[in-house]
Amino acid sequence: MNRRRFVETIVSLGIAGTVVSFLSLLMSLLPTAGAGPEEGEVDNVLRYGPEKGAWYSDKSGTEVRFEDFDQVGKGAGVLWRRKIPAIVIRVDESKLRGATATSGLIAFASTCTHLCCISTWHLDRPSEDVIFCRCHDGVFDPYDVVKDVTANGAEYLGAKVIAGPPPRAAPLIPIEIKDGKVAGVADNLEIYAYCG
Amino acid sequence: MTRFLSTRAKKIYEWIEKRYHISPLIEEAQRSINFALPSTLTRQNKSRLFWLGYPYYYAGAITAFLAILQGVTGLLLAFHYVPSAVGDPGTPTEAYLSIQTIMKAVPLGALIRGIHQWGANLLIAALAIHAFWAYFRSPYRLGREMSWFLGVVLLGLALAYSFSGYLLPWDQLGFWAATISVQIMRAIPLVGDFIAQILLGGTTLSPTALTRMYFYHVCLLPVIAVILVGTHLVLVVLQGVSEPEEAWKPQTDRDAQIVRQEGPLFGPFFPHQIMPVLIISLVTLGAVLLLGAYAVQPPGEPANKFLTPQFIAPEWYFLWAYGLLKWVGWVYDLVHFVPPATVLGVDLVSAKVVGILLATAIFLVLLLLPLVDRGKEVRTLRRPLKTAVGVWAIGLLSTLTLYALNEILSAQLSIPIGTINLTLGSVVITVPLILAVPVYVILRLHASKTTDGTARLRS
Repeated sequence: MNRRRFVETIVSLGIAGTVVSFLSLLMSLLPTAGAGPEEGEVDNVLRYGPEKGAWYSDKSGTEVRFEDFDQVGKGAGVLWRRKIPAIVIRVDESKLRGATATSGLIAFASTCTHLCCISTWHLDRPSEDVIFCRCHDGVFDPYDVVKDVTANGAEYLGAKVIAGPPPRAAPLIPIEIKDGKVAGVADNLEIYAYCG
Repeated sequence: MTRFLSTRAKKIYEWIEKRYHISPLIEEAQRSINFALPSTLTRQNKSRLFWLGYPYYYAGAITAFLAILQGVTGLLLAFHYVPSAVGDPGTPTEAYLSIQTIMKAVPLGALIRGIHQWGANLLIAALAIHAFWAYFRSPYRLGREMSWFLGVVLLGLALAYSFSGYLLPWDQLGFWAATISVQIMRAIPLVGDFIAQILLGGTTLSPTALTRMYFYHVCLLPVIAVILVGTHLVLVVLQGVSEPEEAWKPQTDRDAQIVRQEGPLFGPFFPHQIMPVLIISLVTLGAVLLLGAYAVQPPGEPANKFLTPQFIAPEWYFLWAYGLLKWVGWVYDLVHFVPPATVLGVDLVSAKVVGILLATAIFLVLLLLPLVDRGKEVRTLRRPLKTAVGVWAIGLLSTLTLYALNEILSAQLSIPIGTINLTLGSVVITVPLILAVPVYVILRLHASKTTDGTARLRS
């Protein structure tokens, strides 16, 4: 190797090294935990959601009470653990397949498994007993609870997709009733994190 | 160069010339600008029909003018906008409040925002016309492939601009339109989540995402746009406006006689061609001012990630993609096709991935068109297949746009959603074909009738 070739090699390597090390700075674009406020204590009690024009609209943000669901077919959009949107429905237990209701109530995560819009109950299609997503017309049947698998391979129970593009069932949220308040049971939160 | 200048201007010019020797540059620029545009095309089209096509020549000029207008109004808006989305869902964030301030307190703020809003809409419309005009007239067959490549990239850039801009008010419609787009992006096989994280700092829309979108909208995209638009325009100056080759050569003795007698009708780019550009720009400005003053849309409800608004729809120029997603789902239901959960960890046949693959395919076909579509014939009426495909594409975009409105139409017309879906779903399949097939047949017959004779190209 003559001197000229040596200098050329060194300079080329130097330039390549500089480019690569600057590209590595793009790592800074990846998500960070952030310096936001700490998440406060969260309880498992469901709270009414912010939907307007529904029977529970004036209760928005308050705790979901069992006695509010006084007839079959009544349902509400709620929020669980301050961040998981869900739907609670009073169902006709004799028609329910694949799961058992808790004192007639059943709950499903309402974040659509398609593109993460929030599904509704009886607001868009009042005459049909389905969980409906406004974005791309996904329809879930709360009376038909089936086994499904998340993208990460975790098995779960959920309301079956009966129409539209959602790829997976809407995950069931096990509930319990404590002092008249409806609360979710947080055993495996992973299965509700598909839109996180 | 100096013959048009006043004594004082001449002195300034000489001062610069003495130091920087710019006269060769200026002369070269003048030579390019004086590139004479063909006149025979106008003469061959004495009929009124030609004037229907005339405005399309200037869609590119309108786009450029609107882009400048967007830059100016965007600059003014940037003085007031605060890119902060910190706050509880459903409550007005600083971003939202700063838009309110612009609309209510800033002098002429509502007008400036109105111009920016309508300018964006009209820009996309002008760009669509410009793109289809270029498609039908195949200028890339006359050595303008680079202009076409840049144009396709610029089309993507314009959509990125509007996508990032639509989110900035942090209201419900912008938030949910962006949420859906981000989730679609995440569905890109294998790398989707990574791309979302790099671009937005997360897989959902957070305050970080707004900061980044703002950076793209006001910093990154403008730099790219200035470079690419600049190159796109320099290429036009270097190569001249594209015309069919035959337009340059009188085909008949009569045409040759007209050229001799009347001389060039259009003349050189400067000053003859710049006049219609200025006129049409002023008309556009008038339209944007009127729309901006009287039809500015205030931001909707503050964004709430726990509440999807009813009748959600993206902006009109993304409706076709939205309709496509819905339509693929409808077809799956129709044939009772249930996509398997995953193939090697990828939802390859789920409706959203099919949507992404289709969108990517459209972009790639557009980008690579000059490599596939080669040859010399550039006359729209002599290219039955390509013209028919273009007509089909216009039909498809329009009908998919209509399909996207199925929920709204169902509610407005009180028709059951199943009936609406069946009607519109069939329309999406049939209407583009009903439009395109006759075009193909007629042009095919037309082409076979005139294969010989004076009008044939050298190819």
